[in-house]
Amino acid sequence: MGSEPTTLLQGTLDLLILKSLVAAEMHGLGISRRIQLITGGTFVVKPGSLFPALHRMEEEGWISSYWGDSENNRRAKFYRLTNPGRKQLEAETKRWGRISLAIAQALRAS
Amino acid sequence: MPLFTKARSFLRNIFSPHRGEADLDREVQSYLQLLTDENIRAGMPPTEAQCAARIELGGTEQVKEQVREQQIGNWLRSVLSDFRFGFRQLRKNPGFTAVAVLTLALGIAVNATMFSLVSAFMLRHPPGRDPKRVAVVTSINPGNGFLPDANPVSIPNFLAWREANQVFADTAAADQYRSVSLTPVSQSTAGQPQAIRSAAVSPNYFSVLGVSPELGRTFNDEEIQPGRNRAVILSHELWERQFASDASLIGRAIRLNRENYTVIGVMPSRFHLTGFTPQLWTPLEVTAATQTANARKDRSLLLFARLKPGVTIEQARAEFSALARRAEQDFPEIEKGWGAAVRTFPDFLLYNFGIRNGLAVVMTTVAFVLLIACANVAGLLLARAAGRRKELAIRLALGAGGLRIIRQLLTENLLIAFLGGALGLLLAYWGIAFVRANMNFNEAMSAVPLGLDSNVLLFALAASTLCALLCGLAPALNASRTDVNNNLKEEGRSSSSSHSHSRLRTTMVTCQIAVALFLLVGTGLLFRGIFMIEHQNLGFRADHLLTANVVLDDARYKDASQQSLFVRNLIPQLAQLPGVEAASATSDLPAAGPGTVTFRVQGQPEVPANQQLTASDNVVTTDFFRTAGIPLLRGRAFTEQDTPLAPRVIVVNQEFVNRHFHDQNPLGKQIQLNVSGTASQWSEIVGVVGNVKTYSEGIIDDPQVYEPFLQRPISSFSLMLRTGSDPSALASPLRTAVAQLDAELPLANVMSMSALIDRQKGGNPFFVRVLASFAFLALILAGIGIYGLIAYSVGQRTHEIAIRMALGAKRPDVLRMILRDGMKMTAIGAAVGLVLALPLPSVFDAIFYGLHLREPRLYFLVPMTILVVALLATYIPARRASRVDPMSALHQD
Repeated sequence: MGSEPTTLLQGTLDLLILKSLVAAEMHGLGISRRIQLITGGTFVVKPGSLFPALHRMEEEGWISSYWGDSENNRRAKFYRLTNPGRKQLEAETKRWGRISLAIAQALRAS
Repeated sequence: MPLFTKARSFLRNIFSPHRGEADLDREVQSYLQLLTDENIRAGMPPTEAQCAARIELGGTEQVKEQVREQQIGNWLRSVLSDFRFGFRQLRKNPGFTAVAVLTLALGIAVNATMFSLVSAFMLRHPPGRDPKRVAVVTSINPGNGFLPDANPVSIPNFLAWREANQVFADTAAADQYRSVSLTPVSQSTAGQPQAIRSAAVSPNYFSVLGVSPELGRTFNDEEIQPGRNRAVILSHELWERQFASDASLIGRAIRLNRENYTVIGVMPSRFHLTGFTPQLWTPLEVTAATQTANARKDRSLLLFARLKPGVTIEQARAEFSALARRAEQDFPEIEKGWGAAVRTFPDFLLYNFGIRNGLAVVMTTVAFVLLIACANVAGLLLARAAGRRKELAIRLALGAGGLRIIRQLLTENLLIAFLGGALGLLLAYWGIAFVRANMNFNEAMSAVPLGLDSNVLLFALAASTLCALLCGLAPALNASRTDVNNNLKEEGRSSSSSHSHSRLRTTMVTCQIAVALFLLVGTGLLFRGIFMIEHQNLGFRADHLLTANVVLDDARYKDASQQSLFVRNLIPQLAQLPGVEAASATSDLPAAGPGTVTFRVQGQPEVPANQQLTASDNVVTTDFFRTAGIPLLRGRAFTEQDTPLAPRVIVVNQEFVNRHFHDQNPLGKQIQLNVSGTASQWSEIVGVVGNVKTYSEGIIDDPQVYEPFLQRPISSFSLMLRTGSDPSALASPLRTAVAQLDAELPLANVMSMSALIDRQKGGNPFFVRVLASFAFLALILAGIGIYGLIAYSVGQRTHEIAIRMALGAKRPDVLRMILRDGMKMTAIGAAVGLVLALPLPSVFDAIFYGLHLREPRLYFLVPMTILVVALLATYIPARRASRVDPMSALHQD
């Protein structure tokens, strides 16, 4: 299913963006394709959600941006993870782990 | 750190949004380009690749807007852009903006001007430390009168209550209404003696109030002993005015009441009380003589006390009621019916000044004027909103949220309201200056610091915001519920929405008319009342009379014979001054509120002590009736033969005869007067004179008794000189004549009788004129409201009118139709207003003591005026409507 993360799962989108930037610095389209890749095609992030999230996270200070050249020598805005961003990724990963464990447990209960 | 980054982003978003915008645009374009490249690599032809990319992006503007929306500081940015947009809208419609702003400005200006009065009287802090914890104790006079709760307390009661109470940490007393004569001694000669308003206070008075002197010290406990109490503290104003702010004055002597007093201190300039402030303070003497039974009747002290921590004013009130009751039990003949009142210091000052009712009436009136102005502006806004229906429908269709649209409309209204408020403040500045210039009818009023202070500014701000909300709410709500489909169709004149619009506006205009009528009737009644009072016959001739007050002090005039001698010497001297036709002295000037006396009529049954007959009592010299121009109706006036050794005589007025003798001959009857301080004696009535009003503003005639000065000399009286020419020309010869007999005796209040009566009227004439102008302003605003509504609805109905005319209606028919609609609205409004105005006379009776206003003609005159104004306001647009050319009207859309 190609459902998009809604505003309720805003934290989830942040987590995915941070995770994709661990591997390498990327431009917006690259981030979107990477998320698609690492979630096995489940999440397709449209620009309408991606751009606001990127700009918000930049204002929070978790990622920073610069203008560079893409693979085809096009000018594009690249994003990289900052140190606070790495810490945020750690914290969010732990939290997500706790939540999914709790829900799985709840679903197993009779 | 995150806070820092956020703050930086916030500032960047607000102050240099363009860089961010350009960057965002580039980023979105670059994304589009990358997407297109991707599609081409996947095998799509270039144009299709671009198309697919655009579709996947979903609209450049939308994406950019979504980014903007969640940027930090976006709310502020959108508010600012709302303001900018609103400004542009207002500039595009200068006529509308001007009328709306001006209307609101007028409403806010009158409100702010009157609020400056409220601020000056009610919001001023009295001087001293924590004035709300200072209580003022007064006596309650069982007889009715002006401010019955604010009577002073007697010295014995002060001493008793000071010891007995549990609620006050410290109790002080002040005799506020004394007068001393100050003889300035300059290098060359002694100047003219002046009467100075002074107060005698207990030593702890200043510490109870929490005020420290600017120079020197306050009284200590030794200085209330007789013989050591020749110390004085000056007010700042007196020190500046009379002694040129000489700091070395402390320790030196000044001459008061023929004695040398040492100046021990000067009070700071901010120590003044609303009302009359003493110019200097002397120590209050409390001796054995001040504790006799007679002293109990002499109530002269106001008590100021600081509440103990934790004690409330209600507890103090309860305690003093109990103390007053005990005094009643202990001294029934004197204290019967007398109570004690306790107020906080600020409350007392306000009550004592007696202006609260007048302020309430004024503020209510201007509030109504503001409401009418708001209704006008709301009507304008509704009309404009109707014209923007298409624009709003388009915006709603493009996805604007209803809330966002309401916010933007409210912003426009806020702009109008704040512009109106700013202009209103400017007008109020002049208004306050005008009021201040005209409010100088007595000392107390001129001392009031009236100005455009921070309270007034805050009030104007609050009023503007309220106006914005009031005016804008209706059209804004209407706008958000716009029926998109109907409005986008060509036939923009859908009847449903214009009906609800016009119903709302019609209701508003009807209310405006009702309020305007109400205000006009109220003001008309007041006008009539003041006019009646100003033009009534006072019973004596007030023209060409010069008056002056004299107080013969104890130092030289302790004995009745000394007082009598002075007057016997002075009056003939005065009568011989060039230009003087007659001269006399009287205990109280005519129509100036004399003292009262109880009496018994011989031959009539005795009455219990608290139901005795009373009459006003005046002590006059022989020529009094001639000087005052009071007609002698029967018998004779006083002569030189009426000495203390001769039989006691009195003269009464006609009302006295009417009440107590009916049709009997009063001459020869004996009356026993109970004058406090002397033994009661039987006096014979030897003459009857015409009635004189007790107060220049009174309407009823009271019984009056006159005693001859020689038989009962008094120490405090007024001089009257009748002249053929200008009375003020006699002022200087009068002073000289008095100075010849006693160089150190001051004359106070030397003014003509007519000036004195004007001063007594106080602010009433000015107050009523101000109210009348507000009422007329309300009427004009209501008229503009009617005009606006009719003109607008006529504009809306051009189409309909054209059809009617094409179908055969003639011009007069159209005229009649429009007029009928307008007059129907006016008639309903006038009827409602009349009903509201019916209880006004009784309300005024309750508020304004003694005024009985009944004026049925007003209830006819005012509605007529309103109908005429409404007719005019309706006729002008109606005439324009009847001139509609059916053909061209039908052709245009």
